[in-house]
Amino acid sequence: MQTVIDIQQLTRSYGSRRGVADVNLRVDRGALFGFLGPNGAGKTTTIRVLLGFLQPTMGKATALGFDCWRESATLKREVGSIPGDLRLWPWLTGQTALKLFGRIRGRDLRPVGKQLADELELDLTVRVRAMSRGMRQKLGLILALAHEPKLLILDEPTTALDPLMQDRLREILRRRAQGGDTVFFSSHTLGEVQALCERVAIVKRGRIVADTTVSQLAASAGHDVEVRWRNGVKASSGLEGLVNWVRRDESMWVGRLEEGRLDAMLAFVSEHRADIADLQIARPDLEELFMRFYEDKESDA
Amino acid sequence: MQRALREIVGTTLVFAGVLGAISGLLAFALPQIQARIMKQQFIPPPLKAFRDAMLGVDSSGAGVSEIAFAIAWSHPIVLTLLSAHAIMVCTRVLAGEVERGTVDVLLALPVSRWRLLCCETLAWVMSGVVVLGGVYAGSYVGAQFIKPEFRPEWSKLLMVWCNLGLVYLVIGCFALLLAHITDRRGRAVLGVIVVTIFSLLINFLHTLDASLEFTKRLAFMSFLEYYKPFGMLISGEWPWKDLSILALAASVLWVSTGIVLARRDVTTT
Repeated sequence: MQTVIDIQQLTRSYGSRRGVADVNLRVDRGALFGFLGPNGAGKTTTIRVLLGFLQPTMGKATALGFDCWRESATLKREVGSIPGDLRLWPWLTGQTALKLFGRIRGRDLRPVGKQLADELELDLTVRVRAMSRGMRQKLGLILALAHEPKLLILDEPTTALDPLMQDRLREILRRRAQGGDTVFFSSHTLGEVQALCERVAIVKRGRIVADTTVSQLAASAGHDVEVRWRNGVKASSGLEGLVNWVRRDESMWVGRLEEGRLDAMLAFVSEHRADIADLQIARPDLEELFMRFYEDKESDA
Repeated sequence: MQRALREIVGTTLVFAGVLGAISGLLAFALPQIQARIMKQQFIPPPLKAFRDAMLGVDSSGAGVSEIAFAIAWSHPIVLTLLSAHAIMVCTRVLAGEVERGTVDVLLALPVSRWRLLCCETLAWVMSGVVVLGGVYAGSYVGAQFIKPEFRPEWSKLLMVWCNLGLVYLVIGCFALLLAHITDRRGRAVLGVIVVTIFSLLINFLHTLDASLEFTKRLAFMSFLEYYKPFGMLISGEWPWKDLSILALAASVLWVSTGIVLARRDVTTT
């Protein structure tokens, strides 16, 4: 599999403030790659390095075989991007933008742009100054996609889009990935990444704390367990080592079952059915999973 | 470049129009005022000193046309408006784009930073030619309404135009440099204004009283030291030394801007 993004030992500092530290990432061709982290974690810094806006303090970043800093202009011929906080020149209309960007990119962007505008339901004749935030975001996405780039670097691209348009965008990105293009998708919402991406890297305080598939990430979070005891706690001793309890009172215990302990838990339940009035074992909600994962790593640190 | 032109065309046309009107008015009024002053046998020394300070040279024995048009072409309003245009256009990139947040989209385009600077500069120079053209056209039109003997030689005025163009270029290149060093457009504008005022003041004081030691020492730093329309209108000779110094200063400032842009990090946050 061809590597499209290759980041090695990347560190980028802003004076005494650290942006990202020791980041290693590889993204293969055709991947839908999620880059996840809360605000200020270092997602945008990494993206700015990839786009050649920032020079690495240490380490190296290449994309499509080009050095992101030294060969930035050449690289950007094959890259479509949208910044996290998109601003466009107020006098632009969608049509003039496609014409102007097409001239710079050396190809007519209007046919693909028109098609994308139809899909995203954007009127290309409206000036940016008269557009809502969502409309501007759609235009930014059209401009990022219209030249059919091999690599898409999208920094929180669904911002300001309604759920329907978010679905349409995901559909477009899936199609592009099936065609061999690579999507680097940054977000602070796990649900959004999970809906689109196969692989995800989590960045926290400038460091990559996980680089895995979405299913593995979900599995690593274990199960939520809720036990309601009949007539008060009677058979708790066997559960002490199985579950990491977060709440325990006379009638109900709530905790987290670590991965790999499910069989032991079920064995305990079948043995002590008479003492248990009710039981819930479930995968955690995605957002909660993300938060939990984050908290775990924080406490580890 | 098309984007840059689209952004500056309105401002440029307004400036060209205003400068044309002012130059026309000065070309129409100043020769007549100068003729009336010269009819008097005695010109009060403070008035002459002030006039010479504006011209940058001793104007004794010069004709109406030379004095009037030299004053018109070094008039503070003209110089201020030209400087204002250069500052407005040249601080748009990079500081202006960073402030507006549009730099992310601009730099995401497959254009090298040197090429970006070249395009911006070319658009600015083209707009500068229009604005300076307004000054020349205004003078030409205004002069059609005065006596023919008060009109300047247009070829000599073209020399002045070139010299003024280089002054404009230096101011603009300095504004470009500051706008690429800082991310705040206001700071860049303020920096250029301070230096321009300093330059005007030093030049004025130096010519007003040549014995002032500190102005004598600092005079070389004033770009107006290299702009003497009166001399050109009198002699009709190209001031090659002054033109070379201005061209060199503009080149050094522009190349420095390119180096700064090529090496600096760009971030909106």
